[in-house]
Order: sequence, then structure tokens, then C-alpha cells
Amino acid sequence: MSTTTRRIDHAALFAIISSLADNKQAIGRRYAYWCNGAPALEAAVAAAAMTQDELGHARTLYPLLDNFVQAEADPSQVEPETRTLHCSIAYLDNDFEGWSDFVATNFLFDSAMTTFFEAAQQSSYEPLRQRARKIVQEERIHEMHGEGWVRRLARAGGAVRATLQASLERLWYETLCWFGPNDDPVMRRLYNEGIIDATPDELRSRYLKKIMPTLQSVDIEVPVSFNASSKQWEVSVTLPWARWDAVGRRL
Amino acid sequence: MSNTITAEHKTTARRDALNESHVWQVYARRKYDEPLHEIGNVMADDVELAKVYARSIYDEFAWVEMVIVPRETIVTVIEP
Repeated sequence: MSTTTRRIDHAALFAIISSLADNKQAIGRRYAYWCNGAPALEAAVAAAAMTQDELGHARTLYPLLDNFVQAEADPSQVEPETRTLHCSIAYLDNDFEGWSDFVATNFLFDSAMTTFFEAAQQSSYEPLRQRARKIVQEERIHEMHGEGWVRRLARAGGAVRATLQASLERLWYETLCWFGPNDDPVMRRLYNEGIIDATPDELRSRYLKKIMPTLQSVDIEVPVSFNASSKQWEVSVTLPWARWDAVGRRL
Repeated sequence: MSNTITAEHKTTARRDALNESHVWQVYARRKYDEPLHEIGNVMADDVELAKVYARSIYDEFAWVEMVIVPRETIVTVIEP
């Protein structure tokens, strides 16, 4: 007797899960290099634990792709070992240039994905809802690590602080763009169908609320402003949408 | 030659700037009916990083409680 599972026809959800899985996988690979290269033994052990977490998150997301009609065209794209499509951000294309890239990736980009998972904790798509809750729980430690290391590098001053700032600047716009423009059809469809509970602009606002206290505490300036009437952080410049690759969700 | 020395100097300066100087004693327990006992220590100048390090290094058991104490706050009552 054979059983067949009905696949879901949902290009938007398929695209977002692909992006989340590929970015988690890419982060895990980049982190892995620093398991024996971090500035201190303690930081190296933490890097190893975070590597495991990130690769674990990717491992829980990739199997979801097989539930979609969009995976039928090329089943090899479902398995991370055989997948040739990589929907990860450009910042993760190459090895990190230094420890500050590790810190920036964790503090900026991984926190952006956590903001997405937080918005999916009551998701109408149960497999994502279940995974989102677990990932958000594990990411709390990563956030502590990111905030701690941003403070640490920024307060060291001199070349250390300058290197951190350079890493943050290189990743800044790509991270903010990852949520998509506010009329992004992918994120909008997820929002309209209750898969996430926020629009791209709302996600960006929640994200800035998460990271800005740490940046403010060490006087690192970024192009955002606080709207006193709405009590929300807002991006104060136009994001580089002309360079935005909507399919790969990258700059 | 002078470029090499400058580069080495910069690297050393960066390493020195990131040297951790605070030691935290780590205490934990596996059951509610047992007391906290010392399981090791971590070095970190940032309390949040010390918490992350303690959790990731001493993860061999499913602890029900873990605390860290800055070593410099420990008061010796009887000298060894």
C-alpha cells in the first residue's frame, strides 16, 4: 500500500523557507571556521556551539521544502548535499575576513532572521510555527553573544572598533533589505495569510528595536532615526532597492 | 621590514585590547534537592558573554540551575 502526501502550492512560503535554510546553512559554514580561531578559548567553544545550532536550524528547515509543489521540478534542490541553488546573502558568499565579521553576522543578520521567526511563532503554517518557537528559544543565547561582542569590540577602541564598524557597515543594508520592500509580494502574502504577523516595514521596525539599544550604548551611529510620536525606529535613508535581487533575497 | 614590525605591533595591540581579565566562578546543580557546587570558571570582561561562555562550555549535563560569581568578590575566611 502506498501513501501519497499532498504537496502545498505556495511559491512565497517556498521562497522564504529556501532563504532561511540557505542562510542558516551558510552562517553555520562560516562560523565553523572560527571554532578554533576565535580571540579566546571561551569564544571558540561558544562559536562551536553556535555553529551546531545554525546547522541544526538549517537541517530542520530543508525537509520542509519537500512538502511543496515548487520542489517537484527538481527534487535534488531539497537536500542540502545536492542543492545547487543558494539563496543566501552576498555577505556570506566568502569567508569572513576576521572575527568582527562573525560578530556582525550574528548581531545583525542572524538577529534579523530571528525577528522573522518571532513573527512566525503563531504562524498558520504549523511546521514553521513549531520550528520558529524552538529557534527563537535557542537564538536568545546567540543574541547575548552578539550584543556582548559588539560592546566588547566597540569599547576596545582604535583599530578593533574601526574593524567592527566596517563589518557592520558592509552588512547593514543587505540585512535591512532582506525583509523586502514593504510591498514585497512574498512577505505580503505570508502576512495576509497569517503565516507571519507583520509586514516588511513592521519587521524592520521590530528588528531595529531589538538591536538599537546595543548600538546606542557604544555610540555606533547608523542611518536610522527614532520617531517620537510612533515611538519606533525608522530607516532614515532610502534602501538600495535598485540593487535588490528579489529572488535570491540579497544585494 | 618596518612594515612587518608595524603589522605585528598592530596584531599584538589588537590581541591585548581583547584580553579578558575577569574570572567568573561557575556553579551549577543537576537536581533541586542538591546544592550548587563549583564546576569551573570562565574568563570574560562582559557579564553577558560570561553567561554565554558558561552555558556553552559546561553543557555536559541538563543543569536545573547555573550561576556565575566574579572571582574578585569572593572573600577568603580561612587561608589555605
